[in-house]
Amino acid sequence: MTLLRTYILPRILQWVFVIFVGVSITFLIPRLSPVNPVENMIGRLTSFQSMDPEASNRMRETLTDLYGLDGSMLDQYISFWGRLLRGDLGPSFQNFPRPVNDIIGDGIWWTVGLLGTATLVSWVLGILLGSLAGYFPNSLWAQFLEKTVITIYPIPYYIVAFVMLMLFTFYIPAFPLVGGARGTPALTWDYISSVLYFGFLPAMSIILGSTAFRFIMAKALTSTEASSDYVRYAELAAVPQRKILLYYVIRNTMLPQVTDLALSLGTIFGGALITEIVFGYPGVGYVLFNAINSADYNIIMGITLLSIVGIATASLLVDMIYPFLDPRVRLR
Amino acid sequence: MVRKLVLLLSLVLLAVPTFIGVAQEPQGLPVDLPREDLFVFDQIFRYGTVGNYNVWRTGGNTPHHHALMLETLWYRDQESGEFIYGLATSDPMYNDDFTQLNVDLREGVLWSDGVEFTADDVVFTVETIKATPELTQSGWNASLNQFLESVEKTGDYSVQFNLSQSNPRFHNLFETRWNGIYMMPKHIVEAVEGDLGAWEWTDPVVLGNYIPIDADPNGFWELFERRADPENSVAGIITGNAGPKYALSIFYGDSSRKAIAMSRGELDVYFDVDIESFETTLDTTPTARSWYTDFPWAYPNEVSTRQLAFNLEGDPLLANADVRWALALSLNMVEMQTEYIGGVAKITAIPVPPTASLSKIYHEPMEEWFVNLQIDLGDGEMYNPYDPTVSEQIAAWAEDQGFTVPGTPTEVFGYGWWKFDPEAAEKLLLKAGLTRDGSGNWLTPEGEPWVLDLQSPPDENDAFRVANAASDMWSDFGIDVSLSGLERNVWDQNRFVGQYEIATPWTTFALASGDFWPEVQSRHPKYYAPVGEDYRPLGGNSELRIQDPAVGDFIDAMAGLDPVSEENFEVNRDFLKYWTENMYFITTIAFKKFVTWDEKYWTGFPTAENPNYMPLYWFQGGKFAFQNLTPVS
Repeated sequence: MTLLRTYILPRILQWVFVIFVGVSITFLIPRLSPVNPVENMIGRLTSFQSMDPEASNRMRETLTDLYGLDGSMLDQYISFWGRLLRGDLGPSFQNFPRPVNDIIGDGIWWTVGLLGTATLVSWVLGILLGSLAGYFPNSLWAQFLEKTVITIYPIPYYIVAFVMLMLFTFYIPAFPLVGGARGTPALTWDYISSVLYFGFLPAMSIILGSTAFRFIMAKALTSTEASSDYVRYAELAAVPQRKILLYYVIRNTMLPQVTDLALSLGTIFGGALITEIVFGYPGVGYVLFNAINSADYNIIMGITLLSIVGIATASLLVDMIYPFLDPRVRLR
Repeated sequence: MVRKLVLLLSLVLLAVPTFIGVAQEPQGLPVDLPREDLFVFDQIFRYGTVGNYNVWRTGGNTPHHHALMLETLWYRDQESGEFIYGLATSDPMYNDDFTQLNVDLREGVLWSDGVEFTADDVVFTVETIKATPELTQSGWNASLNQFLESVEKTGDYSVQFNLSQSNPRFHNLFETRWNGIYMMPKHIVEAVEGDLGAWEWTDPVVLGNYIPIDADPNGFWELFERRADPENSVAGIITGNAGPKYALSIFYGDSSRKAIAMSRGELDVYFDVDIESFETTLDTTPTARSWYTDFPWAYPNEVSTRQLAFNLEGDPLLANADVRWALALSLNMVEMQTEYIGGVAKITAIPVPPTASLSKIYHEPMEEWFVNLQIDLGDGEMYNPYDPTVSEQIAAWAEDQGFTVPGTPTEVFGYGWWKFDPEAAEKLLLKAGLTRDGSGNWLTPEGEPWVLDLQSPPDENDAFRVANAASDMWSDFGIDVSLSGLERNVWDQNRFVGQYEIATPWTTFALASGDFWPEVQSRHPKYYAPVGEDYRPLGGNSELRIQDPAVGDFIDAMAGLDPVSEENFEVNRDFLKYWTENMYFITTIAFKKFVTWDEKYWTGFPTAENPNYMPLYWFQGGKFAFQNLTPVS
């Protein structure tokens, strides 16, 4: 009971508070923006029209009513929480009356699939290669890996992505230019293999940079651990290097790595805008970008809510599992 | 052990792409159909809603859908200015005071399920849209409620609209520029229960030639199949051609990706790219071409023009017509059109693009007036600012570059423009009270350095290039220009509230028919909004912050006239003269589009040699460009 009362419960309350504050701020910010969803839609619906100003005013009233924007900010805020607690994020303004739940539902699995896989692969690769390079710093392959990583890491992601796009879709046209899969979703090998095929290039572009970052981090952590007394002692005791590396060194570097993984997984719900734009890949990043440009409040709220919940939950989980990962972490 | 691990990782890294590569054919089209049956076109944006073909609702996707699936009464071809009968077989027939409109309808047109289209569909469509505020598409509900008293069937193939007020342009609701009121199948829609605004139409019955059969849930592509009886669709009847069996739209995104897609044979036509990507297309796709086979390539006749627009309340100096004229005369249009635009657009001194049809109404008849136009440089010195030889100078530049100009300079590059005359510009600024400092830089009448704020959105390629040209030329003339490339929403918002001095919007005063009123009515001074106030809620367009009552008088005079009458055109020309004398904005070039197609698989797209229909396939009237296609083989 003490653990629950003094450790778990405060953290859960903190989690609820962070989400409440985050969502409230996200409710407010787009409404303070000068971009107005009603005017935006009128502009879109009449961009090639010559519309009588009186008719345009009539349309303005209709849209304000349809979008539920005719009450005060407080009315809208209360109604928003009422809907949210029922699991309803409301309709998208730009794609009216399509529910935001549907729009996010269509995009989120691509985002989670791409970024989740890329994050996990780069995390494992980065830790393994970085730890190896940190433990065997003088070997040729370690030096080669390090020089390669140091070259790749500072290149801005959009350049890496664009170079890969040009290289593998134009000069060597081996990968597709747009989309997440061939055809429409189906539980067939053709469709599933096309998901892998279409996702390979965008995933590789992310994995390259992320692996480089984690390689550098893992190498630095391993180098520090490798010079510890317990490692020297183990080596003198003729414990096999494989065992020292895997069971002692890497394990002792895992605390910050787990935090990094949890927070990275928590942030994936915001999408990967540049990846989606460069590779024409589906996901919520581009949806969010369009929503911000068109002041589609409900979509902005929906995706931001996912991000806030994702990051807050990841932090909560990290807090919860720290004591299990590292016995040095004690309650209070 | 380490070596083994590295080897294993290397093997995995090699094996995964190989495995995936073997499992998949290296081609990127999302559907597997023979190319001789499949026409692939550039989808102009990624859809947010997929599979709902209720196009009358708020947020309904119109581009491509309206060309392929939907019909209205009349089409106005943007290229030729011609009136094409769609579902109507007569011109709009008004009574004398424009309070009644009669229309004869086409017989023998069938919905894709075999039901005949009749006057009942028109009456049902109009009454339904009028009675349903949730159907906000293109503002038709609001417009019908403003102008229409009732609509009645006068025969199986004729209808009569009874208007609530005199309106010689009521038929514009059914005549396309972008679109016209889309007809509903009465036999389908009348059975829908509940809110029509929320109705999801997933299995559409169409009057057009194509039926959607598949789509990417994420909005990147959509596949259409030709209906079984294309001879019973309007486009089939008019062109006498069946069109491709399948049409696939794909959203590729930016210019470079479209150029790559075309080079891979995965795109048959794109609607526009920047000039660099177009040149890449020419280099990588030997069978690709645009409107002209060679220079200046691009389609030059989309009905709009680009401006350097003044906020008359942004900088007090810009309220002075002499200053605005000075800014026009310190621009070198030959250099702007060639060095900055690449020579690929038509020039125009008035906000009317010099298309073949509009030139006959405006540019040709006004040429003499332009040549004789005089402005006062001060101290009684009168000056003719117009240079009728500008298009000839551009043609000479093109020939110097080794290009062949495919027509007369006027046909290819437009008419004249303002002289590049810094001396005359200097006299005008001195007349306005400005002075130069020791370095030749302009000072305001108060002795402060004159700084001009010029705003332009970089995502609008030609507008931003015009802004850069103006910035360079005005700087050379001694004005301190601050050019800001602003994100689209910020730029728009600044114009709405008047937070700019000079901006680069686009506009046209003329529809393809030559009518002005629909395009200029929103500039009436009664919709004036002061700087700091958003003009949109007032209903008009007060981005220039003009309060001139004479502008309102011209607009009022146009309102009651037959839109295609010579009387109306005469008022429009007088309005243009007044606008020009006041130089309310500087019009620079007409719109151009690198609408480009690859003739590897399909031929018959409209060209400069065969301009049968406009190539703007994303407009509703663009359907005829697709309908005319035949496979190369």
